[in-house]
Amino acid sequence: MTETNKSTQNDIPVMQKIIAVLWPSFLVAGVETVVFYTLFDPLNVFMDYDVSRLGAYSIGFLLFWVFTALPCLLTLYFAKPCIPCAMNKNEAK
Amino acid sequence: MTEQKKATSTETPSIEQDLYQKRKKIYPRQVHGLFAALRVSGVSLLLGFFYIMPWLMWDGRQAILFDLPERKFYILGMIFWPQDFIYLTMILVIAALSLFFFTALAGRLWCGFACPQTVWTESFLYIERFIEGTRQQQMKLDKMPMNANKFFKKFSKHFIWITFSLFTGFTFVGYFTPILDLSAAIPTLNLGPWEWFWILFYGFATYGNAGWMREQVCTYMCPYARFQSAMIDKDTLIISYDEKRGEPRGSRKRGQAPEQVSLGSCVDCSICVQVCPTGIDIRDGLQYQCIGCAACIDACDDVMDKMGYPKGLIKYTTENMLNGDRTRAFRPRILVYGMILLGITIGTIIAIMNLSPIELDIIRDRNALFRETGMGMLENVYTLKVINKDIVGHEYRLSVEGIKDLKLNLAKQRIYANSGSVVEIPMSIEVDPANLKQRTTEIFFKLEAIDTNLSVTEEARFLGPRVR
Ligand code: SF4
Ligand code: SF4
Repeated sequence: MTETNKSTQNDIPVMQKIIAVLWPSFLVAGVETVVFYTLFDPLNVFMDYDVSRLGAYSIGFLLFWVFTALPCLLTLYFAKPCIPCAMNKNEAK
Repeated sequence: MTEQKKATSTETPSIEQDLYQKRKKIYPRQVHGLFAALRVSGVSLLLGFFYIMPWLMWDGRQAILFDLPERKFYILGMIFWPQDFIYLTMILVIAALSLFFFTALAGRLWCGFACPQTVWTESFLYIERFIEGTRQQQMKLDKMPMNANKFFKKFSKHFIWITFSLFTGFTFVGYFTPILDLSAAIPTLNLGPWEWFWILFYGFATYGNAGWMREQVCTYMCPYARFQSAMIDKDTLIISYDEKRGEPRGSRKRGQAPEQVSLGSCVDCSICVQVCPTGIDIRDGLQYQCIGCAACIDACDDVMDKMGYPKGLIKYTTENMLNGDRTRAFRPRILVYGMILLGITIGTIIAIMNLSPIELDIIRDRNALFRETGMGMLENVYTLKVINKDIVGHEYRLSVEGIKDLKLNLAKQRIYANSGSVVEIPMSIEVDPANLKQRTTEIFFKLEAIDTNLSVTEEARFLGPRVR
């Protein structure tokens, strides 16, 4: 069982996994930032804090990135082959 | 090839191996030839454009500046405001359509010659070759245990790479923050925290992508690579190995014709594999990793020349041509993509040319619908918002029509707006109630520039009491 698990996970290189989490979220965070700041003036969003507009854009982007990377991470986690599938595969062999 | 296989079978798991797993470092061999020359000119042109552009001035300000804090985009003589973002979207649509069009025509032209990933990777390769030498020397250096010479070479390579990347990051930020201010702040390191952040971020991305990740970016990160098969057909120009002519492959002495040794034209020298930046063997057929850089064409043509065989064992061809069928360049797909592309491009250009450099907004006072003055007149209050998108300032004249004998009270005598500025002027209109025929009357504000013939008309409403 562990064997099957190992081999299926090894099918996807770690680099691809890292990219699968960080890259789509980066792209989507970019779009989210543009849409969000077209609707709201960055200075109003961070009114109570002393940040420049560029700072507001950047913080917004980074926050969006984090919050989009989280679902990507969860997807990656849930996309792992689960034990019943792995067993079926084993039996089939 | 064989060394690479050995390298992967070593069982010592290091972080590097863990990260890359099946990846072997690829050492692309240098190529000379038509396509190599094309790529060098493409790389120099695009990089030159990227690094020089932010320094160009237009009418005393940066020619291309995406001023995020002010939310204004300056492109040559034009200023784009947030409300003009539709044009930016149109330009992106045009870019996407051109990609479709050129992919249908000639495969991954973009990837091999114009993609930033290729362009920067190529320049990083030049630097690497300059310091570490040829492919053979690079592989020898990597296998050698660390010594002073190796350390010095590796150190200088990374030093130049990092410097180059930081300059790239600096240039990138220069598109968003006036680059003259930025360069003035560099010697004293007096930049804002976010400017620092983005210079380092972009610099790091360049260094990582062009220095380390390279073809993995194309394989794992590029969305285009994955759906390209949907855009190409049997008439698309692709880079392909002529299997009929090449097989059976085999080595032979120089000058021996294929017939003499009863082999195909491929001498199995594996040079086409060595030059490939993605490390694939084009002789295995069309693969999604192939970025269409045509390095293998140049390389194999060179080999064919040396052998005295005709060139073109690997060449730009189409699936139909390989099968001996007719190829049509003008087919419905190309015509449809071409027409849509042309239509949208012309439409966008016309729309941008007709973009009015002045905009007028009339905002009604929300507090009171109307007011009666002491003289028995009716008064409505508005705020005039003049947006000057032109590259020079203008003085304007305002006139209002729609009701007989209306009287205009402007809070300011002179309506003047600087280039790229918004001016708000409170104003009111007074009319004699006898001239009102209904409760709501349409009125027209006309704003004219005094020095040129620019004008804009905006509709608004004048409210009065119910007319009996
Ligand atoms: S470069 Fe040409 S001759 Fe050499 S292996 Fe490749 S296809 Fe064969
Ligand atoms: S197979 Fe040829 S064209 Fe494709 S990436 Fe490799 S060298 Fe470039």
